[in-house]
Amino acid sequence: MSFQIPIGPQHPALKEPVGVRVTVDGEIIREADLRLGYNHRGVEKLAEQKTWTQNIYLMERICGICSHSHATCYVQGVEKLMEIEPPKRGLYIRILVSELERVHSHLLWLGVAGHEAGFDSFFMYVWRDREIVMDILETISGNRVHYAINAIGGVRRDLDELQIKHILDSLEVLRQRSAYYEKLGTTEPSFVARLAGVGYLSREDAIELCAVGPTLRASGVPMDVRKDDPYAVYDEVPFEVCTADSCDVLGRTVVRIKELLQSYNIIEFLLKNLPAGPISVRAPRRAKPNEVVSRYEAPRGENIHYIKSNGSDKPERLKVRAPTLANYAATIKMLKNGFIADVPLIFAAIDPCICCAERSVAIVDARTAQERIVTMSSLRELSLKTAKHQARKREAEWPL
Amino acid sequence: MATLKTLAYLILYPGLLFIFFYSTFAEWYDRKLYARLQNRMGPTHTGRAGVLQPIADFIKLMSKEDIVPERADRGMFRALPAFGLAIVSAGMLLLPVWNYSLSNPSATSFSGDIVVLLYILSLPTFIFFLAGWSSTNLFSTVGATRVLTMLFGYEVPLFLTVLTPAVLANSWRLAEIAAFYRHHPWLALLNIPAFLIALICVQAKLERTPFDIPHAETEIVGGTFTEYSGKKLALFRLMMDVELVVAAGLLATVFLGGFPGGLLPGLINFIIKTLLVIFLLCLLRATTSRIRVDQVISLSWRYLAPLAVIQLLVIILIKGLIS
Amino acid sequence: MNDQVLIDKINEGLKDKVVAITNPAPRRLFLQVTADNLLPVVGWLKHELGITHLSTISGLDLGQSFELLYHFANNCCALTLRTEIPREQPVLTSICEIIPGAILYERELQDMFGITVQNIPDGRPLLLPDDWPAGNYPLRKDWKYERPPEVIPGGKS
Repeated sequence: MSFQIPIGPQHPALKEPVGVRVTVDGEIIREADLRLGYNHRGVEKLAEQKTWTQNIYLMERICGICSHSHATCYVQGVEKLMEIEPPKRGLYIRILVSELERVHSHLLWLGVAGHEAGFDSFFMYVWRDREIVMDILETISGNRVHYAINAIGGVRRDLDELQIKHILDSLEVLRQRSAYYEKLGTTEPSFVARLAGVGYLSREDAIELCAVGPTLRASGVPMDVRKDDPYAVYDEVPFEVCTADSCDVLGRTVVRIKELLQSYNIIEFLLKNLPAGPISVRAPRRAKPNEVVSRYEAPRGENIHYIKSNGSDKPERLKVRAPTLANYAATIKMLKNGFIADVPLIFAAIDPCICCAERSVAIVDARTAQERIVTMSSLRELSLKTAKHQARKREAEWPL
Repeated sequence: MATLKTLAYLILYPGLLFIFFYSTFAEWYDRKLYARLQNRMGPTHTGRAGVLQPIADFIKLMSKEDIVPERADRGMFRALPAFGLAIVSAGMLLLPVWNYSLSNPSATSFSGDIVVLLYILSLPTFIFFLAGWSSTNLFSTVGATRVLTMLFGYEVPLFLTVLTPAVLANSWRLAEIAAFYRHHPWLALLNIPAFLIALICVQAKLERTPFDIPHAETEIVGGTFTEYSGKKLALFRLMMDVELVVAAGLLATVFLGGFPGGLLPGLINFIIKTLLVIFLLCLLRATTSRIRVDQVISLSWRYLAPLAVIQLLVIILIKGLIS
Repeated sequence: MNDQVLIDKINEGLKDKVVAITNPAPRRLFLQVTADNLLPVVGWLKHELGITHLSTISGLDLGQSFELLYHFANNCCALTLRTEIPREQPVLTSICEIIPGAILYERELQDMFGITVQNIPDGRPLLLPDDWPAGNYPLRKDWKYERPPEVIPGGKS
């Protein structure tokens, strides 16, 4: 007896709405289908109406967890368009915040993986440590999310000795605790039993379906934008690309924990070698007509922005492709022949940042008016469709 | 006089009022311990150290809107929570708490009452199944089928391990079993493997982590309880609390030697021993993650059931040696 | 393998298919091809050079035509294929048979620009809501929006 179970758009497993419809046969998934667009905000069209500086703040609000990655990717591209070179100290601070964001995002993900697997104690412990990172980010930038530390030409705030010392001390605490989580996450039998073998994505599939980030690296492919296409100061900072060979959710967990430990090393290197000097240069108002492709390694994978300018102070075209969108095709592949119980884990394993992925279309109008149409009627229609669908199935196959 | 005593027995102690207050206290204890093990606060504000929190939750739920889905089976949907609460409360009456002494047994102690208690404890599983089934919601159906699937796993080891001390004590009556182990405390140590297996099986029966698949929040919304709200949900949650206390009481009677001493010492014994069992169950809950339903079955039939059988055989041999 | 080596290989292997190659910055190559040659060039890139990772497909409204950019990447550079299709007849062939991961990006092009992608394995609309009026392609330059006057439910204006 097979029926379709909708996971989403509203579901406790999903922090953001996305419609996954799985066709199940008992507890095994036979088919999976993805419906996107519930969180669409029309950022690309909106970006064409705003100036270069205003767009930094727009880009940040694409996502909460990886806000700095979008802002940095955009700012890097615009700096190339305007042909200005930010000073070294500014770049170091920018990358410091990037790595701190990576740390906080991976800790968040570890906790969410624990929660999806039912291991609430792990979730609580990891998120307690994430608070340390959020406090650091608050001392640096004043905000726990949406740091707004980027400016075209450098960064907006500087670090002083006290902050550096505070970060280095917190790093010690984090290092110890992360070593404990590494041990716990990989050796606790009930947790590993949930993660191992789930969401298998072979190496060939991962390459063919153009997966990115830890999803790709857990299938043994060492592709990392920080090594392949070094931006900012990554050609000077020593670190390794972390891969795993098990191609399943356990591999992705291991990759993220290893990246966490690598990030601690990078942060320590950056802080100990922070050069003196100014933190930003002045940026012109207009950019010459040109185009640029800017790539960045967000915590979830490769973030790519394509920016085209036409000589005015607003972009001609801004195309953003966030990493989660690239992992969707791979997710469908992973869901087939899994169990329903694994759906939240598989979905969580690609570290979905659905708001990131859902701005590749221009939504019309101001967000207030149009969003009403998107949310209410599209959801209403979807729920009507679901109800109709359910009724049909029930009459056909219910044994009573 | 006898009617008055029976009425007090039924309403005050160990009747309804005691069940209500003690099971909410047990829920507080469980939640507070779980929170402290996770480096959190747990219930803090209502009452001193949050003791009144479960009662506050119950009252809040009772006052919320009660929605019955359109396609649900009305009669069953409405009757099940009250029915379930009645069943587990009846189970509480079978525990040898008030009149334990064999010379003056209570009206609810009879030969074979351990079997009746086990039966009463397995009825809530069917009630959860029927609750999920009669909700006619996709998520409830999946939760209901999971409840039954788990039943196939843990029921056999649970029965075997709980009846093992009864075999050694040569009696099917809870009061006698408890009295036997009080007089021969060293023989109680032989039952320790059975105690551990029974703890795991009781955790599965109560649907707590690592066996809380039927109402796994992150997978199937609410599982069997997706459509329940308001008073019905309040009664279901109270039923789960009472089931916790009854199961802990059963384990304490059979393995830890019961609750001797009459009214007041018996009460204190009851509280201490059931809280000890709940402490162990909570420890198990805080340190593991949820396992899948097929893994529950394979765990039960590969490890728990064979170990329970081996333990039973050992006990039978020892009994033969003793007598 | 750096940029110059890559440019030489491409010039050697795809002489007539590629209209122009530019290298504006380190690790960035832009190739211009015509729409008919798109599929063979993508196939050649995958089989000869091993470039299989498609980052995304950007669409651009140039007024008289649509410009499409296929952003590829490998471990030494980011290669972008540029092609143009006329606005009156926006038809494109799908590259999904060579690069299966392109499916979502092509569906997005269909939604946003109204481009018809032929041989696409699954051509359902991806991102727009179900009751979107047909013929409205948001990312085209002539598609403007105005902020509608705010309506406060309850009547107070």
